[in-house]
Amino acid sequence: MPSYQAPLRDMRFVLYELHQGAGLSALPGLEDFTPDIIDPVLDEAAKVCEEVLAPLNRTGDEEGCHLENGVVRTPSGFKQAYDLFRDGGWTGLASDPAYGGQGLPKSVNALVEEMICASNLSFGMYPGLSHGAYLALHAHGSDELRDRFLPKIVDGTWAGTMCLTEPHCGTDLGLCRTRAVPQGDGSYRITGTKIFISAGDHDLTENIIHLVLARLPDAPKGIKGISLFVVPKIAVRDDGSLGDPNGVTCGSIEHKMGIKGSATCVLNFDDAVGWLVGEAHKGMRAMFTMMNTERLAVGIQGLGLAEASYQGAVAYARERLQGRSLSGVKHPDKSADPIIVHPDIRRMLLTMRATTEGCRALGGWVARSLDIQHHGEDEAARQEAEDLVVLLTPVVKALFTDLGFEAANLGMQVYGGHGYIRENGMEQYVRDARIAQIYEGTNGIQALDLIGRKLPAHAGRYLRRFFHPVADLIAAKVEDEQLGAFVQPLAKAFVRLQQATGQIARVGLSKPEEAAAAAADYLRLLGLVAVGYMWVRMVEVALPKVGTDADSDGFYRAKLGTARFYMERVLPQSGALFSAIMAGGASMMDFEEAAF
Amino acid sequence: MSGIGKVAVIGAGVMGAGIAAQVANAGVPVVLLDIVKEGAASRSAIAEGAVAALLKADPAPFMSRAAAKLVATGNIEDDLGLLADCDWIVEAVVERLDVKQALYRKIEGVRKAGSVVSSNTSTIPLASLISGLPETFARDFCITHFFNPPRYMRLLEVVKGELTRPEAIALVSRFADAALGKSVITPKDRPGFIANRLGVFWIQCAVIEAIEQGLEVEEADAVIGKPMGIPKTGVFGLIDLVGLDLMPHVMDSMIGLLPPEDPLHAIHRPQPLIERMIADGYTGRKGKGGFYRLNRAGGGKVKEAISLVTGEYRPQRKADLEALATTRGDLKALLAHPDPAGRYALRVLGQTLAYAAALVPEAADDVAAVDEAMRLGYNWKWGPFELIDQLGAPWLAEHLAAEGLPVPPLLTLAGDRKFYRIEAGRRQYLGTDGAYHDLVRPEGVLLLADLKLDRQPVLKNGSAALWDIGDGVACFEFTSKMNALDPDTMALLGKSIKTVAKQFKALVIYNEGSNFSAGANLGLAIFAANIAAWTEIEQLVAAGQETYRALKYAPFPVVGAPSGLALGGGCEILLHCDAVQAHAETYVGLVECGVGLVPAWGGCKEMLSRWSAPGRLPKGPMPAVAKVFETVSTATVAKSAAEAKELLFLRPSDGITMNRYRLLADAKAKALELARDYTPPEPVDLTLPGESGKVGMQMAAEGFHRRGIATTHDLVVAGALATVLSGNGADVTKPVTEEEVLEVERAQFMRLIRYPATLARIESILETGKPLRN
Repeated sequence: MPSYQAPLRDMRFVLYELHQGAGLSALPGLEDFTPDIIDPVLDEAAKVCEEVLAPLNRTGDEEGCHLENGVVRTPSGFKQAYDLFRDGGWTGLASDPAYGGQGLPKSVNALVEEMICASNLSFGMYPGLSHGAYLALHAHGSDELRDRFLPKIVDGTWAGTMCLTEPHCGTDLGLCRTRAVPQGDGSYRITGTKIFISAGDHDLTENIIHLVLARLPDAPKGIKGISLFVVPKIAVRDDGSLGDPNGVTCGSIEHKMGIKGSATCVLNFDDAVGWLVGEAHKGMRAMFTMMNTERLAVGIQGLGLAEASYQGAVAYARERLQGRSLSGVKHPDKSADPIIVHPDIRRMLLTMRATTEGCRALGGWVARSLDIQHHGEDEAARQEAEDLVVLLTPVVKALFTDLGFEAANLGMQVYGGHGYIRENGMEQYVRDARIAQIYEGTNGIQALDLIGRKLPAHAGRYLRRFFHPVADLIAAKVEDEQLGAFVQPLAKAFVRLQQATGQIARVGLSKPEEAAAAAADYLRLLGLVAVGYMWVRMVEVALPKVGTDADSDGFYRAKLGTARFYMERVLPQSGALFSAIMAGGASMMDFEEAAF
Repeated sequence: MSGIGKVAVIGAGVMGAGIAAQVANAGVPVVLLDIVKEGAASRSAIAEGAVAALLKADPAPFMSRAAAKLVATGNIEDDLGLLADCDWIVEAVVERLDVKQALYRKIEGVRKAGSVVSSNTSTIPLASLISGLPETFARDFCITHFFNPPRYMRLLEVVKGELTRPEAIALVSRFADAALGKSVITPKDRPGFIANRLGVFWIQCAVIEAIEQGLEVEEADAVIGKPMGIPKTGVFGLIDLVGLDLMPHVMDSMIGLLPPEDPLHAIHRPQPLIERMIADGYTGRKGKGGFYRLNRAGGGKVKEAISLVTGEYRPQRKADLEALATTRGDLKALLAHPDPAGRYALRVLGQTLAYAAALVPEAADDVAAVDEAMRLGYNWKWGPFELIDQLGAPWLAEHLAAEGLPVPPLLTLAGDRKFYRIEAGRRQYLGTDGAYHDLVRPEGVLLLADLKLDRQPVLKNGSAALWDIGDGVACFEFTSKMNALDPDTMALLGKSIKTVAKQFKALVIYNEGSNFSAGANLGLAIFAANIAAWTEIEQLVAAGQETYRALKYAPFPVVGAPSGLALGGGCEILLHCDAVQAHAETYVGLVECGVGLVPAWGGCKEMLSRWSAPGRLPKGPMPAVAKVFETVSTATVAKSAAEAKELLFLRPSDGITMNRYRLLADAKAKALELARDYTPPEPVDLTLPGESGKVGMQMAAEGFHRRGIATTHDLVVAGALATVLSGNGADVTKPVTEEEVLEVERAQFMRLIRYPATLARIESILETGKPLRN
């Protein structure tokens, strides 16, 4: 069974060396977050994840959750782990200090999230969903609601959920049927059934605060008639103490492919008392304001699992002896060479590594932009940062989870037959990673968001925040003696991306379906170029260090090696994607429906 | 011109003064008289004040300063003698029969034989106006009903009496058409004639039904506006514009004149809300506000609207109607929608179209006149019968019956036929005799839309087309959205130049969009800039330069024929034509600096060349350069074709056509005239001032900056323009070639488009239509 070790060296590289994390404390509101504060947080997080959460990952998967007498029981050890987690202050790490949180910058919190997801994604779902509920309530709730619910969500006494999906509506939430009836005293009675509610019920906390989408009696039809309500599982009295159960029951839990330690519930709301969050009929808008943060978090789940799988695969490839190197025996003392000598094993390992490190760097850029968006002093800089976040959010969500799943699959492949055996832990990463491509907006929806909303917005202004830095780097460094070799493949892929972007923008206006047919390939193309850009920037940082004392552990040398692999063996996929995009969608849309 | 060499207008109110201004715009001297203002310093103070007001009004009633000088003012007591040599005397005094008749008697005493007298009345029947007056007067009398403002509204209703001489009608109609640019229709002598008869019914119906269906004004205007092809002011915004207090007057006079069985009576009822608003001074934009107002209470600026439900003002809100969202511009689906908004649309439009159908032949000879009246008198995109054709007469009849409304005979007559059809390449309308008749255009009117009915384009792509318009002349038409110029336009223009050289004698550049072209497709340009596609942008600039140059030096004459906006690249193409025949309402300008760019399709080059022509300005390179800098750096737009001549966007020799419908025919005639003996122009080298000139222009810009008139980015843009106009370090003793100027234009354009401030300006124009002053 693989043992997870938080990749702190690479995380610090991304945070400090690539994205100037030491400068975070220059932003208003983040003054406290100097490296001497951040570093211990990362070290401590690594310890909790490695020592407390990772050991429960396999057992939690085997045992799963159980619904007993209407109450969900989480796997053995989860409750104790949660108590430790809560007592360590981890539930409020990224929350507002005004409600007891620690206000950690997103740049740092994203790294902690990665560690949690890598060590035990199922466990991470519980505090993760609480944080989602926190965000929505914090952004849109009245002062009264915030005072009542937030402190205990932040300190982990209570958990939270997001209740969106219903049996007949997932992607199309406009079809939502759950009803909310005003009681005349400012409260509402909520009735309806919600499904696929992650962390919908569990035994980790004394109460669960549900955020529920429902429809008021006078609501317009469709998506513009949805409102957001906060509904506690157990009534909360005015003095903050708990009252009676509030008509929220768990009807059943789903039997899933992965994340089995996370309870996925059917929740029945039966005249449950709730309060309106934000304006009536503006529930979707309230949801969207937190969506960027949430989608980035789901992308990071893919990244974390890719890292965990990579670590397991490398360890195995070093010790597993099979066959001999094709270029001659490498370990004559052993009965066979370790499989790490074989090109195909190296292809898999480097693919995992190049995408994982590349995504970590890209995620770091987006996280840093979120910090600037929220804390930047200069309005133009804040706007630019927000533009970049808005553009890259669907890319991060879909690309990271797709690549994460592919990486987990490669990691299992490295194990050969043993990867297929549960006890070895590698197939669990594949199963756990799979859901991230689906929830929080399927990756197909992310691609449509990218081409349909993000691309045309403000005549392409969001694109500028990404395309201009890339174009400027290429223009400045394409002839560079050392960097040039890395920049040239990027330049080639970038031209393809520019042409594909122009093409989609052109056809998108008159034939939206044609643009939609290219969406998934386009998102991958943009994502690969973005990761390629990150690799060139990483090489730029690493190059001067190679061969110096700072590189005694070979970290920077390995960066160059991984970068080279990415540029030569991964980024050329842009050519195939480009051809597919330019071929148009007729081959799909002309196909007779009856012939499927 | 057209037999009318001098005109008099009596009554210097808004309408009379506006009519006088438009006569002057046509280059015809005009006398403007009003009553004597007792106690004033001047006995003609009213008429004089009216001209002063005209000069200040916006939009401007005069097309040029020269036109204003053609108006002579006076009063009806001392100056009636001035009428003696007038060919046409227009009466536009207060709507009182006794006043008008008294005036007519005075006029009759002084006017010359054969002159025509007309009234601009909108409410008094012609028969009443002439009753009791001598037959000699009646023979020369008609009604000429203009619309407000007379310069811009293209409709003129000419009503003849039983005694009116046909030649009198012909004389006035010809003049109104060719000189004043009006489209003349000839209603019968019925109350409100055609446009206001239907317009008043429509407004009344739209107000009543909105209240009865429980709609708010924003909702009603959203339903009435865009879906029906009606200006977005809808109905309540329109009432605010014309004045709430005017409505009851017009309504009362119509009610008094129309027989009791007229459907207007059925929708005539007291309007307590409107009465209260008028009493409180909420008479519309001229008063404290109307259905919409800007609430400045507490120093704020809040857009408010009055609620038809509560009768109170509240913040304006965007109409959010299910019926509009789901039917998405499908008019028929909107009318069939069960929501109150759909019901409203059906009730209002159904009754209005039925009323229109009842006006033929009662007030109008044919359906075409009714449609023209509403298109040009109320700015509807489609006339009522065009709307009926969209819905289908049987569909409308069925829905009227279902609403318990009478079905007019004309609808029954039409059956399942359309009111308009194309037959053998000709446009025809359905007559009251049940047969189709050709739609006959006045002589000298040539419309591309008509020509297209019987031919295919010679060349065509997604952004432009080349047409054979007969007699060896080709017409290049922009067909892109908003006539924005893009790579496809340039590609087809390049191809057209080769084709015309082989197959035609001359080329006209013309289209029938509401604007000739507002310039390059900025959406494409900014998108390309946002994705850093610099090479693509530079290629687009270079392609435009090469194509326009090829156009200028083509072996055949090219005549540009613009109407509406001709800005940026749309102006630059005109600058490269051999001659321009412009519609009087053409608004030309090089506005690139406004979006943080410089003209780079040869605009700088051509303007330099025009202003440097010998004898135009004092000697030396600087005067011409300074003049161009002043015009271009401030993105000045000429407010008429006449003004465009003053700014040299048009040459003094270029022609102006007053009537939009006659533009193509005039341009074609001009092209044929040039083709008789054509040699392409020779390239002209320019003498440019170089560095010192550049410094001079920059200092001027910095002066504006210090005074707070120019922004920081204006300085950057002005610097780039100065670089181009000064010849980028040119040696003042060495002539600069056209190619060299083009190269600097291109380089400076490429430099500017990389500025975030430029991109922010373009984004603002595209998203809000408003310039960003950054």
